Amino acid sequence: MSTAYQFYISSLLIYFGVDILACWGLNLQIGVAGIINFAFVLFQAAGAYTAAVLTLGPAVSPANGGFQSYIGGANLPFPLSLLAAALVGALLSLVVGVIALRRLRADYLALVMLVVSQIAVNVVQNQNNLFNGSAGLSLVPEPLTDVVHLAPLSLAYQWFYAGLTAVICLIVYFFVHQITGSPLGRALRAIRDNEQAAAACGKNVFLLRMIAFVVGGAIAAISGAMLVLFIGTWAPSAWLYPETFVLLGAVVIGGGGNNFGVMVGALLVPVAFLEAPRYLPAIPGHPELIEPLEWIITALLMLLFLWFRPEGIFPERRRRFPRSAPARDLGGPV
Amino acid sequence: MDLFLPSLGFGLVTASIIALAAVGFTLQFGVTNIINLAYGDVMTASAMVAYICNNGAGLNIWLCLPIGAAFGALASLALNRGVFVPFIRHGASLLTIVIVTLACALIIQNLLLAIWGPNFFSYSMSSGRSVDALSMTFTVAQLAIMGISLAAMFAIHLLLTFSKLGKAMRATASNAALARSCGIRTERIIDLTWLISGALCGLSGVVLVINTTSFTAGTGAGFLLVIAAAAILGGIGRPYGAMAGALVIGISTEVSAAYINPSYKDVVAFGILVVVLLIRPQGILPGSTSEKGVTT
Repeated sequence: MSTAYQFYISSLLIYFGVDILACWGLNLQIGVAGIINFAFVLFQAAGAYTAAVLTLGPAVSPANGGFQSYIGGANLPFPLSLLAAALVGALLSLVVGVIALRRLRADYLALVMLVVSQIAVNVVQNQNNLFNGSAGLSLVPEPLTDVVHLAPLSLAYQWFYAGLTAVICLIVYFFVHQITGSPLGRALRAIRDNEQAAAACGKNVFLLRMIAFVVGGAIAAISGAMLVLFIGTWAPSAWLYPETFVLLGAVVIGGGGNNFGVMVGALLVPVAFLEAPRYLPAIPGHPELIEPLEWIITALLMLLFLWFRPEGIFPERRRRFPRSAPARDLGGPV
Repeated sequence: MDLFLPSLGFGLVTASIIALAAVGFTLQFGVTNIINLAYGDVMTASAMVAYICNNGAGLNIWLCLPIGAAFGALASLALNRGVFVPFIRHGASLLTIVIVTLACALIIQNLLLAIWGPNFFSYSMSSGRSVDALSMTFTVAQLAIMGISLAAMFAIHLLLTFSKLGKAMRATASNAALARSCGIRTERIIDLTWLISGALCGLSGVVLVINTTSFTAGTGAGFLLVIAAAAILGGIGRPYGAMAGALVIGISTEVSAAYINPSYKDVVAFGILVVVLLIRPQGILPGSTSEKGVTT
């Protein structure tokens, strides 16, 4: 394999890993708990910014170019920056969740989330000293280069980072799987399918949805952190609200509620689908046409799936329980 | 120099535009229970139709205004009949419908982008001379926009309060099944609701561009969030609430822009929204909107 090709494949694998993480987080919120989080990309951005400003040195030092202004600049080593990002994602979810999840019904919540996503972009763009405004942060150093003795931006480092992303994916999968397969996961699905019935069974709807929302937010932040530590740059244009839609498309098409399905969705929509047009011949005279067409096709694909196969390629596995005999003995309707 | 009154003037113009849009948006929700996230992009498409009539066919922009409104009405009706209703009949949940409207929004916006490109479009028109009133300054165009908005609000008020159609719309909104059993042809009422709200949508799209002088394929989508803020503030699904919400959002954004950094005016609008949601999730007007299923 040529070096250029290896660079391409390893980068693609890293993006795939980041998208899988994000989709698992979103799936926990929307697929399992039924919370329409149209502000999902905001939590990814929160993680990315946190990891970036904690990994970068102080803004005043000329080593960082001195052209950016941002808060923080703690020069923290790798696992700490990632953990801090997860923590910030969780805390932000807690704050947003307390406001938004309290008493709002599903579609109302969707609208509020869109608005929240937009507020955050506005604030970050205008508050230059926070995260360098619209220009965004750059020159974020790649983590662990001195520990593994690999030159940053080298091919070997690319493969190392791909492996690191895979390890993070495994750890996150372990957590996500624990939640979806546990009584907690069952309670969340019960709330999604029938909120009143779940509440009547004594489930604390608000608390349970908060748990899904906060864990999902932390996973979103981890995905954002992994992305920014790899590409080294992050700006408001990377997290406008339609970005959430791509991940949402992956969850719906892959199969909401099914962690494996969602992984396939992440491979299909954000990776294959947005990558494939690269190989299409350019439309003469209209080089800018590719991006709108990508969006149109993604949206159409999603509509087709919602119509023909709303459960996705790999539907959520329904657990079947044997019909209990005593119910008939009671003489009630079966 | 006192900034309050001049900025209040701007606020009234902005509020007029938001009110037109927010009443249409909230009517769609109130009667059919669909939160139509494609609303902003239908606004942009209507503004584009007016642009073609204005710059392509050379019509005066005030003549293009009703054409834009008519397009908005028909496009909204087509969107409901062609996409939303089939999905609801197919058994789509409330959650799915919201995602469907967002998909439609992205399709419309990117179609505009693909066909006309990432450019700024301006109407060829003059805003007219400036008129001073109570140390507020308006252009003739802005006065016309406020007039149109006031007239439209008054018409909506008359429609909902006195006409048979308006009463049927309110009946459908509060209980569609009951309305149907009282002999109201709810399907026709819903079609008419989409036509009326779509006309408001088209109208607001064109006057938005008349006021701000230029637009891109993303203008309506950006404005949707301000509309949503006004509608939620007034309690979504309630036309009078949307009018009140539009006044609050319009005036507070423009007045705050005069005193603090103008690029924060949307943040101020959304900040008010968050505070209101914390205290009164059902909006600022008394009474509450209860949960219902989707109506076709």
